[in-house]
Order: sequence, then C-alpha cells, then structure tokens
Amino acid sequence: MSTEVSVIAVDGGELQLGGGLLALVRPALDELEPGGMLAVLSRSSSVREDLPSWCRAQRHEYLGVEEIANNLDRHLIVRGAFSVPRGTNTNNGLLRPGSGNLNAADVGDAALPPSRADPSTGFAPHGARVEPGGPSYPFTLNERDHVAPSEVTTLYEQAVNGQWDATADIQWSKVRPLPDALESALVQIMTFLAENELSALYVPSRFIARIHPTFAEVAMFLATQLADEARHIDVFLKRARLCGRGLGISSVVTSRSLLSLMQQEDFTEATFLLSVLGEGTFLDLLSFIERYAPDEPTAELVRRARNDESRHVHFGLAHVRSGLATDPTLYSRLEAAVRKRAAVLHGVGGVPAPLQDALTTLAAGGAEPRAIARGHESFRQLLETMHISRIRRLGHAGFTPDQAEMISELHTPNFM
Amino acid sequence: MTNDKTILLGAVAYDPKVVTIWEGMREHFHEQGVSMDFALFSNYERQVEELLSGHIDVAWNTPLAHVRVKQQTHGESLSLGMRDSDRDFRAKVLVRRDSGIKSLKDLEERILAVGSLDSTQARILPLYFLAKEGIDLSRVTLLPFDTDLGKHGDTGTSEIEVLKALQEGLADAGTVGDLIWVNEQAAGHIDASRIEVFWTTPGFDHCMFDGNPGLSPEKTEGFRRALMAMRWDNQKHRRLLELEGLREWLPPREDGYRSLEEALKQRYQNEH
Repeated sequence: MSTEVSVIAVDGGELQLGGGLLALVRPALDELEPGGMLAVLSRSSSVREDLPSWCRAQRHEYLGVEEIANNLDRHLIVRGAFSVPRGTNTNNGLLRPGSGNLNAADVGDAALPPSRADPSTGFAPHGARVEPGGPSYPFTLNERDHVAPSEVTTLYEQAVNGQWDATADIQWSKVRPLPDALESALVQIMTFLAENELSALYVPSRFIARIHPTFAEVAMFLATQLADEARHIDVFLKRARLCGRGLGISSVVTSRSLLSLMQQEDFTEATFLLSVLGEGTFLDLLSFIERYAPDEPTAELVRRARNDESRHVHFGLAHVRSGLATDPTLYSRLEAAVRKRAAVLHGVGGVPAPLQDALTTLAAGGAEPRAIARGHESFRQLLETMHISRIRRLGHAGFTPDQAEMISELHTPNFM
Repeated sequence: MTNDKTILLGAVAYDPKVVTIWEGMREHFHEQGVSMDFALFSNYERQVEELLSGHIDVAWNTPLAHVRVKQQTHGESLSLGMRDSDRDFRAKVLVRRDSGIKSLKDLEERILAVGSLDSTQARILPLYFLAKEGIDLSRVTLLPFDTDLGKHGDTGTSEIEVLKALQEGLADAGTVGDLIWVNEQAAGHIDASRIEVFWTTPGFDHCMFDGNPGLSPEKTEGFRRALMAMRWDNQKHRRLLELEGLREWLPPREDGYRSLEEALKQRYQNEH
C-alpha cells in the first residue's frame, strides 16, 4: 500500500469494537497522514455507540455514520494529529538477495545510517517509525564518523564466517608431552596470552552499551570480537593445562599495562590502543609462536587465533582512519593517550621477564645454551619486527612516519 | 487568597500517581518561570471549601466540584483550562445480551448497576439523561456501587464494579463513562458475547481548573501559559500527560456543564 493515502476504507463486517474491530481500524488509520479519511463499513449496531467514543479517546475526528444499505453502516473518521509519523525516508529498504545469500553488507546498503543518531530512538532498529515523546537513552557514541567505519559490515560478515570451535577444531589428541623446559615455556606463554585476551574481552565490552543502536553493526561486530576472545582464552588455557603443570606467572608489568588499557574512557582511544597497537603487536607475537610451535595442534590454535586478531586490527584501523579523516583533533588525542599510558607504565621495565624467557626457550626449542643464543636472537628480532609492523600499520591509519615512529616507541613493553 | 507569588494548587489524591503528576507539573511550571506548589486533599468537598476560602489559588476539579464552585461564586470563579479528554464526555448504558432489553423503556423493572453517588459519568448524568428520555427511575432497581465517596468517581472503581456486576449477571444493565468502556474493550477486558453497549448519553464536559475569583492576573496568565506549553511529543511532558489522561490541554468552556447543573437542581428539588 502506498504511504500517501488520503481516503481508505475497511470492511468491519459484524465485528464489535471490543471484538476485534480495532485490529482493522487501527492499522488502516496508521496508513493515513493526519487529516486523511477512513471509511469503516460495519454491520454491528454497537459500533454506532462505540466508535465515536473510541475516536474521542484517541483524538480522531468522528464525522458520522450513514446507513448505505440495509443494515450496513458507513462510519467516517478523520485521522487525528497524534500519530506515529509516516517518515520521509525515501529509501524503502528493499533487500535483494544476491546469489541466494543475504549478507550484512546488503542490509547495510539498504538502510544507510544517518551521520548522527537521535538518543530518543532508543533500541528502535534503524529505519523503524519511532513514536515521538519516548525517553532519551544514555548512549554517548551517537556520531557515525566516531563509531562506524564503512568497512564494518564486511568485517562482521567475515567474522561470522570465521567462527570456529575451540573444542572440536583443534586436534587436541595429537598433543604429546614435551621436554621439561619447553613445556614450562609453553605454559608461561599460554598463561600470558590468556591474561591479555581476557583484557581484550573486557575492554570492548565497556563500550558496546554506549554505542547508539543505529550503529548496531558496530556492536554486532564487537560481539564477534568478544566471542573470538572468549574462544582464544579457552584454547590458550586448554593448551596450558594439557601440560599438567598448572599455569604460569602473571607479572605486575602485564597487570599494570592491562589496567591502563581498561581505564580508557574514550572509544576511539581505547580501540586505537587495544586493536591497532595491542592486537597489531600480537599479530607478530602469534606468528612467532606459530613458527616455533612444538607441535601441530599448538601451531593450529595460534594460527586460528591470529586470523581472528587480524580482523580486530582491521576494524581498529578502519575506525581510526575514519575518525582521522573527519576529526582534525584526533591525531593529538591519540598521541596524548599513548603518552599518558606510557607515563603510567614508566619505569616498570621491559617485556615481562617470565614471558621473555619463555619466548626465548620456545624459539630455542629447549634449554641447550647454543640453542638459547639463537632463541635470544629470534626474540630480539621479534621486538624489531613488532616495531616495524607498528610503524607500517600506523602509516596505514594515517600517521606521518615521525608520529608513527614516536608512537611505536612509546607502546607498552607488555605488547598489549 | 495566598499572597506570595507562588500559585498554590489543590488536587485530590485519589491515587498515588497524583503525587508523581503534581511533582512533575511543579517542575514543568518552574521551567516555564511560573512558581507553583500544590496541596493534596482527600476529597473534593474539602478542596472546594479551601478554594472558596482563599487558602488555595486553583483547584483541579471534577465536573461536580466545578459546577459547585461556579454556583457558590455566582459565576465569578475563573475557569483556567481543561483536558482534551474532558470535552464531549459521554456515559454509556450497557446491557447483558441475555437481558432481553430491547428499548430504554425495558430498563424499568430491571436491575441497573450504577457507579458512585458522586460520579458524574457513572451515576448522576446517565440517570438524569435516562429520566429525560422518559424512563421512570422509581421503577428501576438500582444496584449502586458507592465506592470512594468524595473522590467524585476519579478512581474508576465504581465503574469497574458496574462492569463486573454485568459480567457476573448481578445486573441486567449498567452505566459507565465512555472512556473506561472503550479502553476496557480495547484492552480486551470485555467479553463482547455477554455485554454490549445499548445507549449513549448526549455529551457533557468533565474536569476543570477553577481559579479563585480573586486570583491575580499574573497568576492567571502564568498558570494558563505554563499549562498550554505542555506537548505530547516532549518526553517529560508526555509522561505527565499520560498519567493525567490527556494529549493536550485546552482552553475552558462552560456550555458542557449545563446538563450537570440541571441534574443537580433536579436532585436538590427531589430531596427537598
């Protein structure tokens, strides 16, 4: 039915007002703009008594009734001014499944979000006709450029397709006992990864409730990110516990670093620190662990985790890039956030020692001194690789080489 | 007359929500630059007395209280505003489908459930209009539900009792206001196979803000301005409007109270 109707009619048959007639009358009135006219055909005499009263209660104008045939009344109603507006959105949101699939990008294309969301639309899905006068919601992330990069629907789609099963997708039965030193190292590394992934589970969750639902796809993408982190925590702890020697050490360096991440109050700054710098650095860390993994299940779980993390980094980069493109103050805010965090961590030392030793031993493949020397060199190269990748990534985000160099230098020795 | 700049308004506390409404209204008036405070009464008789004696400036009155104020001030009281829903109120005569009532005359020798003695819409005016239609009320057996006397039917309890009596077959017919009838139907609370509407009275007007005859022009203007500034699509206003049962405040009009004035005159004559 067209949305520009001025006169319409419904046949109410013998329905009484309290017997279902309103289920025909109300939707019909809803098709009208205020001032539009509805004819209600009725064979119920009680409707003559009730319809005028109902119109009065609802502030519609009841014009009167005429018996147009034997026992058939025609009531005329003019739509009142208190109604949910029809809206002026010309985009009708028609979805067309491509090759049988209907993906998030199709939906996004059919209902482009506005640049600024209205706090009083609450949880109404974008595109719904929102009744005026509703309460204002405490969402603080209401601007598209500060929340929703255009890539988010594609990333969401990839994330949905990329989900895997921490229980069945790793060939856990192929895990064999390792030499003592290697097993200790692996336990320490897995403990460190799980601890950091826990922070990556908690930090975005703080912001989801602040995102205006008009940009729900961002919240939905972050939900996949949380599911990813949950799965990573699961596999890292499983791998550690398969060694049968408990978990490793949680250092104060790590704890301080993660607390400073958790205390970020700005979504873009937190995303920058967590996803661009932290998870970005983790990509190189996970590659390193995969390369020196002592068995195939370990390599596999780290490879899968790294795939997931690279999506988070993509989102972080897209988010920051879109912010930098529209907000000239963002460069200095992000730089300030990095400096502030570095100040909090000043003097805590370098990479947590238990982790550094474990990574060295892992790369060495054991505790034999000449192997350890090679392991140490590999670790040193890892730090260099992380620095170079960060600078490259910061360049992609839109920073100058000098800014990128400085920011990378200030990044936490905890990696995350 | 209160002599400071604050408008002191009286309302009857027929429900706990009345506090919420007037706290919200007080805040709204304040935002409009109009100082207003309120006093709650347990019944309209006391509220009318306090308005007439000048202890309060304005009373939020039922039609019965409004007509009494007009009479006792010889028309000098100031009518300040009313709800959209106060205009063209009607009462309904409902019947049980199995009652065999085919005409208003059939109400004689039957049991008619009616609301509280002081309810305009469920007792005073439906009986007045029925008498006007030629029904001999002395031949109708009334089943009255005199609940919440002094509240002038505001609580709606007597109307709910009338509907219940009809559903349960304690009465053949009953009288209620039109709003409660359509709202109960719309909410699906009415078994349409048992009860149907039989007759609708002519229209009459309902509540009114009555100002003391000596209310200053500043207070009068301030009250009207703040009241009329409320909007249905404003979230803060809307909550109050919903609780008070309206979508917009309208200017006063007096013609809608003629039938009630007449009904009270007749009642007075019958009793004396």
